[in-house]
Amino acid sequence: MTDSHLPRRTLLRYGAYGAGAAALAGTAASWDRLTGADIPGRDDGSLVVATLGSAFDQAAVRTLSEGFRKLHPDIRLRINAVQAVDWSDFFAKILTQIAAGSAPDLVYVATEGVQLFAQRLGVPLDRWVKRDAAELREYFADVHPSLVESMMYEGSLYQLPVEFNAADMYLNKQVLKRAGADLPPADWTHDDFTALLRDMKRSSGSHFTPYFWTNRLWGGVVPWLFANGTNLLAESKAPGGSWLWDTFYPAAERRGRGGGFRWTTPQATGIRVEEAYDYLASLIQEDLCTRPEGGNGSNLVGVFSTGRVGVTPAGGFWAGGLHLAGMKPTGYDVQYFPRWRTQRHQFGAAGYALLRTSKKQDEAWQFIKYAARKDTLTQLFQGNQTTPARRSMLTGARYQETGPAHWQVFYDTLDKFPDTGPIPAPPQVAEVEQVLLKHTGTALASPRTVRPALRRMQDDLEKAMERDV
Amino acid sequence: MTNTRIPAVRPRPAAPAAVAPRPSARDRGTRLLAALFLAPTIVGIVVFTVVPIAGSVVLSLFHWNVIDSPSFAGAANYREVLGDSTVLVSFRNTLVFMVFAVALQLLIALVLALAVNGRMPVWLRSVFRSAFFFPLVLSAASISVVMKYLFNQDFGVVNWLLGLIGIAPVPWLTSENSAMAAVILVYVWQQFGFSFLLFVGGLNNIPKEIHEAAALDGATGLRKHLTVTLPLLSPTLLVASVVGIINALQVFEQPYVLTNGGPGDSTRTVVMVIYENAFEQLRFGEASAVGVLLFVLIMAVTALQFRLSRRFVHYQ
Repeated sequence: MTDSHLPRRTLLRYGAYGAGAAALAGTAASWDRLTGADIPGRDDGSLVVATLGSAFDQAAVRTLSEGFRKLHPDIRLRINAVQAVDWSDFFAKILTQIAAGSAPDLVYVATEGVQLFAQRLGVPLDRWVKRDAAELREYFADVHPSLVESMMYEGSLYQLPVEFNAADMYLNKQVLKRAGADLPPADWTHDDFTALLRDMKRSSGSHFTPYFWTNRLWGGVVPWLFANGTNLLAESKAPGGSWLWDTFYPAAERRGRGGGFRWTTPQATGIRVEEAYDYLASLIQEDLCTRPEGGNGSNLVGVFSTGRVGVTPAGGFWAGGLHLAGMKPTGYDVQYFPRWRTQRHQFGAAGYALLRTSKKQDEAWQFIKYAARKDTLTQLFQGNQTTPARRSMLTGARYQETGPAHWQVFYDTLDKFPDTGPIPAPPQVAEVEQVLLKHTGTALASPRTVRPALRRMQDDLEKAMERDV
Repeated sequence: MTNTRIPAVRPRPAAPAAVAPRPSARDRGTRLLAALFLAPTIVGIVVFTVVPIAGSVVLSLFHWNVIDSPSFAGAANYREVLGDSTVLVSFRNTLVFMVFAVALQLLIALVLALAVNGRMPVWLRSVFRSAFFFPLVLSAASISVVMKYLFNQDFGVVNWLLGLIGIAPVPWLTSENSAMAAVILVYVWQQFGFSFLLFVGGLNNIPKEIHEAAALDGATGLRKHLTVTLPLLSPTLLVASVVGIINALQVFEQPYVLTNGGPGDSTRTVVMVIYENAFEQLRFGEASAVGVLLFVLIMAVTALQFRLSRRFVHYQ
């Protein structure tokens, strides 16, 4: 009689063969998923546009894609919405994609990355702009030259700005009323600002902070440096750019324009920088504002809309943010940043940069033009999540639902203060920003710590600027 | 019964001692089978651990910014990072963090394990086990985001509660004196559940008879734990401390989200420096060099622990 039982060893062997075969079959079956080959539009010759995912919602991305397809049915398009916390996080992810050999054709780049991309990855748009000058005349007539200049690098234009945000002052009207104060006038000074904070503090409870700010390159210490007529890095203009200014802008608007900004020698130990830090340190000592690490954008909307904060610097993007948080349009208003030695404001702008690695540069240029059209931007920026770069888009109707009452401030920050400029963002911006954030935290620990921290900041900035990216 | 004739066997010359006997077909099959079972794990370890480590070591010898081709740097990256005060401070911070976080984590976990292991209804024991383990299954980043709100100096719940009992607001995350403590607290709150479970398992493995014998000898309370429980729990303590130290040396999410390494550099850890160098400043060579140094540090600390364990760990 034969034994019908399979020996354990044989069973194990066949089991192993079976498991191995199943694993191989599973791997083969899911190969497209594992390699990402099943992503629609991947490796099919589509024009790939990388955007900061959180900047546009799904509906907006659909609108952007469908509108472009109608206009250019021959160009396949794929919008790659990259989720990121902020611009530096976004750039890190894009650069990782480039390193992995899957570079997009176009990248949505803000001021923080304009020079980095221009210097290392970007393609100047000059030849296309010159070629399509007639078509673009309407665009440039609608966009402030400061925004355009911020997208230039060493005489060439690398992006067409589609949005920007300048650091103005948002004020909670309920807090103003409590303090017995009115909306400050446009020419208010930093002394008026301090007095207003003291009034707010006096009239509110202990769980109230008059001034809330976030320690970052945009909207942190830098607006105070600008107001005090200085900057973190020595600022100058690159030569060139007349090919653009002479073509698109009248003489009055092109005066003093150049080929883009240059940020070079660190000047953290400059007397005006020290003054700005001393001023912020004094506000902290008086409990009139948050410490730098205490603030971050994510919890700001909540504390401002509920009246636990009176004043904060923000751009047009915040009108949409406060509306989403349920704040009434009459609950807040906006005014220019206060005057100190100057009333120069800072801004950040964004647009699409074309990468050198792109094999579809002409198609990419078509998309850049399409993305800067008024109808496209109107569809894209319905929620006031930013300030459109086109002046004509800022209307009473746009801000009727969200507020603020003085919405004109957003664009007038450029029109009334022509020296308003971009945040200092050389190609070494990541390290510059990290140094700024780190030493600002230390500098504002107490008035005694300002100078030693600024000396260390100066040393670190010098090292950062010496390094090639 | 048949009388089978045993054939005469010609004696073979003895095989040289160094040469192993040829494995039989059955042995070869067994080895092949073992290799088949081990293959997925070995492939996984090679692909996801060995190759990246080797890659990091190689990359640490090059300058590479993602955009341009890598250029050979030799030991320059190591000289660069070892001369960088931020890197040195981050190592100091990480070691300080490790000492306090692991000590606190083990102490809390041990005390709670002893408490839960005592006289307590089974259902209540289960409730405590689940509750203590729960933070571990949550994402460290999301916990840190919530904690950032709770510890906010101006609007945080923690300071509000302290205010109710007359304590002035504490600058938890905004003072160099308290930021590291806050980061350690958040980390320990999330991590102690793992050590707790290990200790509960270890305590259950201690035979009751030993405790009974100790009781007969007059050992009670703390003395019993010090002379009986702890020595018998030492293998578990070793595992918990090794794992705890390795994890603590790689801490990233909590300081990154809570303080972003600040104020100043007071909570900047080694992994944060690696991340910042690589993904913010595009200095992958320097980042890899720091990574290799951290790898060496972890290896050294772990080796030291195992060396010391010969003296302090008692196996039944």
